Amino acid sequence: MRKYIYALIALLSLATVALATDSQIWGEMRIQNILGYGQEESLKLGVWFTFLQSKYFAWVFLGVLIGVPTVFFLHYKIVGQKVFPHSHKKHYAFNLFHRTIHQVAAVSFMVIIPTGFIIVFGDFFGGGTLVRAAKNLHGIFTIPFAIVIIPMALMWIKEAIFNLEDIKWFMILGGYLSKEKQIINATQFNAGQKMWYWVCVLGGLVMILSGAMMFFMDFKIEMLHNLTGLSHIDMLRASAIIHNVMGFILVAVFFTHIYMAAVAIKGAIHSIITGYVEEEEVKFLHNAWYKKLKEKGKF
Amino acid sequence: MENARMKFYCDESRCIECDGCTIACAEAHELPVGIARRKVITIHEGIPGKEVSTSVACMHCTDAPCEQVCPVDCFYIREDGVVLHDKNKCIGCGYCLYACPFGAPQFPREGIFGSKGAMDKCTMCAGGPLTTNSHHEFELYGQNRIAEGKVPVCAAMCSTKALLVGDAESVSNVIRARVTARGGKGVNSSYGWDKAYKNQ
Repeated sequence: MRKYIYALIALLSLATVALATDSQIWGEMRIQNILGYGQEESLKLGVWFTFLQSKYFAWVFLGVLIGVPTVFFLHYKIVGQKVFPHSHKKHYAFNLFHRTIHQVAAVSFMVIIPTGFIIVFGDFFGGGTLVRAAKNLHGIFTIPFAIVIIPMALMWIKEAIFNLEDIKWFMILGGYLSKEKQIINATQFNAGQKMWYWVCVLGGLVMILSGAMMFFMDFKIEMLHNLTGLSHIDMLRASAIIHNVMGFILVAVFFTHIYMAAVAIKGAIHSIITGYVEEEEVKFLHNAWYKKLKEKGKF
Repeated sequence: MENARMKFYCDESRCIECDGCTIACAEAHELPVGIARRKVITIHEGIPGKEVSTSVACMHCTDAPCEQVCPVDCFYIREDGVVLHDKNKCIGCGYCLYACPFGAPQFPREGIFGSKGAMDKCTMCAGGPLTTNSHHEFELYGQNRIAEGKVPVCAAMCSTKALLVGDAESVSNVIRARVTARGGKGVNSSYGWDKAYKNQ
């Protein structure tokens, strides 16, 4: 933990040093930035960004914002909730550390995602103080998420590695398309949860990095130029494109996560609040895990 | 009568890289340190025959990319083509800079976390959406010389008259006369002219 804090402090001070150097956008580099725009030998990221941002990004976000909940509303109406008795035995699956880390990430997401939408539809909200506040909160709440993302990644990585059973899970979408309760041979996390883990952890890192680039904007980290071969302004353009595209995916899967936990399986959300999972839920939805727990004498 | 279309033109055969336009602009609009709405750059430096100096700022482009990407729609384009923006609407996201071919939009650092303040760029000395020539307008956008019937300060102060500004036709006439006078040499149009105005 202490090492982690040191690393964070080092990173912050490095960022300060980077900010204190000459401008990478409006100084000498401006010539490179201007010459690079839309020329044959460049990636034309300026042109691409303008095209995508002006024509598509907001519409895709609107599609995700309306489309994903619509699909789940239909699922709720047609297939409905899966209800398992909560009167049977329980297993203590998430300790206080797990839950704390998860809750910090959860609260961050509750702020980051709505404020992100306010920025995307900033013209609808008329700009100014409200959208500026949203932008600032969007950045500030990235800090707690950035702090917990590594411990969260580490604490669940063992459970999140895909195995062959997961292919079967994907073939029937975990049995969520039928009203019947099927026995699903999943481990502690099923393939859907694993998918969310990877989207959240890897996608989260991508969002943090691309967001930080846009937030700090005028900084100098030589390594990044060498690594990507892009000029500074092109890195910013790439960040903006990546941040939006990753945003579509992250938001869509986040909505899924909320729906599954809060609606699709009635009361499942309590397991991450209290730490206890219900025997019947585990037996049906995570049968491989259930067998293992049984062997150990749990339940 | 059709509206005039205001354009900038920097005659590269005349620009002597004196930086007078940058200073004139910064002084006239009382810009904070670190903000330069206009900058003189030298491209292809050291390559004989190709090296040119030119003065860049917001070109007030046709179909301005900044206006297209702004998430809060803070830009507005005047009838005469001058691209202006509302600093009270701007959230300082930086998208306009990513879209701009000239690196014109700049962001002063303000606030506790060094977050970006409202964007600042050349207004072609036409102020902003606030009451014309009000103290408020001057504070946020600088002088509104156009409203006073004056030429934008950079072009007015240019010692070699390399930097021209005005309605497209007048600018073209001046350039044409100059090219004719020097026997057709230096016909190449100013850097960025095509990009900004799409040969219109």
